[in-house]
Amino acid sequence: MTSQKSIIFDASSLISLSMNGLYDELRNLKKNFDGHFLITREVKSEVIDNPLQIKKFKLEALNISALLDEKILELPECLGIFEKEISKKSGELLDNANSTFKEGDRTIHILDLGETSCIALSKILTEKGIKNIVAVDERTTRMLCEKPDNLKKLLERKLHTRINYDKIKTKQFQGIKIVRSSELIYFANKKDLTKLKGKQALEAFLYALKSKGCSISFEEIDEMIRLN
Amino acid sequence: MIESENILRILKETKEAIQQNDFSKLKDLSNQTIHSASISQDQDNISVAVTIYSIGKIFDRKDYKSMNGWDNFYKMLLDSLDKSIFYLEKKDLDKFRLNFSFLGKAINKISGKLKGYIEDVFEKAKISKASRIHEHGISLGKTASLLGISLYELADYTGSTGIAEVDLSRTVDEKTRIKLVEDIFK
Repeated sequence: MTSQKSIIFDASSLISLSMNGLYDELRNLKKNFDGHFLITREVKSEVIDNPLQIKKFKLEALNISALLDEKILELPECLGIFEKEISKKSGELLDNANSTFKEGDRTIHILDLGETSCIALSKILTEKGIKNIVAVDERTTRMLCEKPDNLKKLLERKLHTRINYDKIKTKQFQGIKIVRSSELIYFANKKDLTKLKGKQALEAFLYALKSKGCSISFEEIDEMIRLN
Repeated sequence: MIESENILRILKETKEAIQQNDFSKLKDLSNQTIHSASISQDQDNISVAVTIYSIGKIFDRKDYKSMNGWDNFYKMLLDSLDKSIFYLEKKDLDKFRLNFSFLGKAINKISGKLKGYIEDVFEKAKISKASRIHEHGISLGKTASLLGISLYELADYTGSTGIAEVDLSRTVDEKTRIKLVEDIFK
């Protein structure tokens, strides 16, 4: 084991990076990281195996597959964490996430296995004392982990109905450290790890990531540019 | 099927809207099904939402109506809609589903450019409706799986919407999130 730290990538963050062709930026980040960039088998299916069958996204799938071949991205087996352990925990978390929010007696299924597998892996790593963060660009997983009350309000606002939620179940998702592709590229830009340099490039990167699905608001982009 | 009464009402109103050339109403009807589809995640609800939205888009295009195959398509559409309503009223869900797949059959019988155009409308409708379900708070992965579309397609589409601008989406300030990255790279 080289180091006791990892960044776990979910499908949404890899898709934002991939659709903007930011593979070299990811490679450079890895070269400067004394740890592992991990993806679960479920995420591998979502970003490589399934899109390989779709001509429109085959190039992205092949490019991410190349990152796996180069060991820029790795499967959790590299840390001695195997599929069985992740699947068990993912299943438990999925059951919890999908029974947390209710409209009357009906539970609302909010997450899928790919997303919960990343949270499961993060929890397993933490239990083993391996420092980690999870790169998630999609909004629901992030809201569940960081502000489930906001997710309840969002569901109520959009579905025009009263939503009840089980606060105890959401505790399982607390403490997961979440970043987005935008913060990773912000850091890469700051450390001169991007091909294009400077503030203007940063702005371009952030808008490009947003346009390919990274859930970041214009206000947050402005804040990041000010912080730079 | 969940909420068959609601679907029955929607289909009846869809037929009326088509007959009265009130195509803007189709969009509204499709949106009504999205609310219930987001909660129930029932395939019938989702299928109705996608189909009604597609019909609205197809009828919006005046040029389609002068193309070869249009009359046949229109006839099959109304016929299948009638049969779907009939079987739903009888609570015969298997026959309802069989007849509700009318558009798939209708499209296959169309020849020439119109077939391709309508297929395209249906594909785009799936992505558009998926984005609406995601907007309602269902995750990207869950939504893509419900609609049977690629995560790449959905992420690309949602990037052009205002989903990320919703105030409630903001959960942690930027300074804190950037610090998480800086700390792990130390």
